[in-house]
Amino acid sequence: MVRRGELIKGSLDSLLLGLLEHQPMYGYQIIRELKRKSQGYFEFKEGTLYPALHRLEKSGMVSGTWQLLPNGRQRRYYTLTAKGLARLADERSQWRDFLTAMNPFMQPAD
Amino acid sequence: MTTTLESYLESIRSGLRLGPAEEREVISELRTHIEDSLQELKETGLSEEQAAGACLRLLGSARMIARQIYEAHSQGTWQQALLAAMPHLLFGALFALNWWNHTFWLTVTLILISAAVGYGLWRSKPQWIFPWLGYSLLPVVIVGILLMHLPRTWFWVTIPLYFLIALWWLHNTVLQAMKRDWLLASLMLLPAPIIVGWVLAVEPDFTFDEFSSARVYHFAPFIALSFLALGLTIAAFIRLRQRWLRLATLMVSGPLILTMVAYYAQGRLSLYAFLILFLALGGLFAIPALLDRRIRRATKRVRAFTGIWR
Repeated sequence: MVRRGELIKGSLDSLLLGLLEHQPMYGYQIIRELKRKSQGYFEFKEGTLYPALHRLEKSGMVSGTWQLLPNGRQRRYYTLTAKGLARLADERSQWRDFLTAMNPFMQPAD
Repeated sequence: MTTTLESYLESIRSGLRLGPAEEREVISELRTHIEDSLQELKETGLSEEQAAGACLRLLGSARMIARQIYEAHSQGTWQQALLAAMPHLLFGALFALNWWNHTFWLTVTLILISAAVGYGLWRSKPQWIFPWLGYSLLPVVIVGILLMHLPRTWFWVTIPLYFLIALWWLHNTVLQAMKRDWLLASLMLLPAPIIVGWVLAVEPDFTFDEFSSARVYHFAPFIALSFLALGLTIAAFIRLRQRWLRLATLMVSGPLILTMVAYYAQGRLSLYAFLILFLALGGLFAIPALLDRRIRRATKRVRAFTGIWR
């Protein structure tokens, strides 16, 4: 049996790409959104998000930009790049194939 | 922000071992995250202390975060790996083509080293600069050898000044690397025992004559081979992500290349010299690591005492 933590770790890049597809987000916002959209399922050590975001940025999947807030603080917003979008499309297609292949085995028998 | 959280950020900062600009950005991003988290936790009715404790638990281990961020940033591109290996490959080519005694090619190599060091320092010291920085010590060594050929009186007059300048340059160069990561200092100094090994094989008493040139010609293909091995080691180091793998690469290839020198020197490198160089190689890893530990402890103490975290 695969533990939930391991599942999340293995899917974190896909989750981030999927989340950033709709709008640029900053780290704390990403964590809140992941928690909200998955109804608490995707809850992990918050610190592990930043290495994942930086890895994606280094590989050109996302780009980070600093934005100055009215109160003088700065936030780093991450935006999906064209390369990231192509990777997301690829991961989605793989996910669909995986689900199609798994369904006959995992659906309860009638 | 509480002292606990500042101390947490400081632990992450000291484990990052990135360039100053990257380090500032990472800490600034985490600081904003902590401030957001604290605000939200306090809104749920927690006290400042309770919110800080909860915030730390949510974030996870500072050591793990620092290690993972280091791994996300550390891997260089193939282009950077080639740039880092380039000084070794250049010297390898000088010996492979037997151009090591051509003033023109030696001058070109020294100009290239100076240009690369200047450019790298200007571009806030990327990882590939450090092998070049190591070779910037070479002119200092050459001057030292040349001084040995001065008349005795001049030799004793100039040698104290030479040692002062040489030690100052060595200290500055090593410090540049240590400030970033002690492993880069080891990487930078790795060729030193190999080069000294070849010098000892060619002329153990440093009195270079016409026979020395003949011996360098004889050893040139093997010297080129050892520089090629150094180049490959450095390229692998730059391409690796994990710190322990980087350390293992240096710790395995250093002794291997030194053994290669002893083998191809065909008995001209004495066992004593080999053992001393082997110990020096060990010192290249142990001394920077120990110094780094002491510097970090001292910095932490000073910061804790003065209360300056930002």
